[in-house]
Amino acid sequence: MMAGSALRRLMAEYKQLTLNPPEGIIAGPVNEENFFEWEALITGPEGTCFEGGIFPAKLVFPPDYPLSPPKMQFICEMFHPNIYADGRVCISILHAPGDDPMGYESSAERWSPVQSVEKILLSVVSMLAEPNDESGANVDAAKMWREDREQFNRIAERLVRKTLGLPPPE
Amino acid sequence: MADDAPSSSTFAGNSVDSSINQDELIMKQQREIEQEISETIPLVGDLESLQTLEKEYNEDPVYMLKVKDLSAKYKYIRRTRPDGNCFFRAFSYAYLEHLVTDKQEYEKFYEIAKNSKEILVALGFPQFTVEDFYETFMEVVQRVGEHAGGTLDELGAIRQELHDKFNKQGYSDYIVVYLRLITSGQLQTEHDFYQNFIEGSRTVTEFCRQEVEPMYKESDHIHIIALSNALKVGVRVRYMDRGEGSQVMAHDFPEGAKPLVHLLYRPGHYDILYA
Repeated sequence: MMAGSALRRLMAEYKQLTLNPPEGIIAGPVNEENFFEWEALITGPEGTCFEGGIFPAKLVFPPDYPLSPPKMQFICEMFHPNIYADGRVCISILHAPGDDPMGYESSAERWSPVQSVEKILLSVVSMLAEPNDESGANVDAAKMWREDREQFNRIAERLVRKTLGLPPPE
Repeated sequence: MADDAPSSSTFAGNSVDSSINQDELIMKQQREIEQEISETIPLVGDLESLQTLEKEYNEDPVYMLKVKDLSAKYKYIRRTRPDGNCFFRAFSYAYLEHLVTDKQEYEKFYEIAKNSKEILVALGFPQFTVEDFYETFMEVVQRVGEHAGGTLDELGAIRQELHDKFNKQGYSDYIVVYLRLITSGQLQTEHDFYQNFIEGSRTVTEFCRQEVEPMYKESDHIHIIALSNALKVGVRVRYMDRGEGSQVMAHDFPEGAKPLVHLLYRPGHYDILYA
């Protein structure tokens, strides 16, 4: 029953995302043979250091989705307080309550079965715009975000250009 | 790249790796503990005599007095897995089990259950997030309806079917999710009333997102009040703790309603009681 329910739900979400795509986000299964692995393209939010970039990420869904959340990982180079060096995204909506090694605030929004891929991707866009520098996914990025914003912005600009296939700025 | 990026932004930074490993380790440990609990305690157990509680508290005079009091009022207990979902699981099991022998109550409940999805959709829950949970829930409710008030054999068979479904993780958790959504729907519909129960500065909607809708979040009075009101089902909770006296205090939800479901509360956990 579990994997069947998960598949039904993922197909419904895909249809919904195709009919009503949120601004700046494209997402869907890598191929329609396997609905449990999606790719997403996220546009860097306007007015932030990630503006203009198009960041590809991969979402992997568990067989008991949506009881459990998917895992999400950027497949381009990223430098951000809430993204691990290997691209994995660390935000509270991707965690069930109790699943809590990062010490999120107890008030942070957690995974629940009425969340969705769309909600996750919108949260990731907010995360790009407003990093949570309490989270230790990338300690160096968090430190630089706090203490040397100019340097952080320079790295972000290079990453943005990289996603567009452009050479680093002069 | 080496000019502007610190070493850890490359994909093999040592400091980052060690922090990942630690988090992973904690998560792995948590999962192992959860799994250990899962394997020893069924989602919903078999009927047990209350004497099993006496054995549990053999050397605890405070609890022993209360178990004695409880034994005078109830004969059996059915334990549930302590996974944070126990109130919802215990409540739905006990109530559906009651409906098996109460056709009139069933008819009343069926209408409430059938209309519950529309209330959620009207509150803004996307259809696709509610649909599957609603259908699984209604499937189980209808199975009970088909056999409610039937022959003894039929009743035995439907009880067994309920027990089996409640012990299948998928079915059981989908029912729990749907009851959480009904609870959330009730809190949001009557938000002016329920706001008074919420400590701190959270709104009712925030409270629902954080404390009601996610699985494994434990239930408090406010969850019980909301669910019993939404479904119009009387619940009596017997409180057994280290408090003074030799009695297990009873609390009825909603106040004054005839209790059809009896639950035993021990700090952090609910089981089902039978007279």
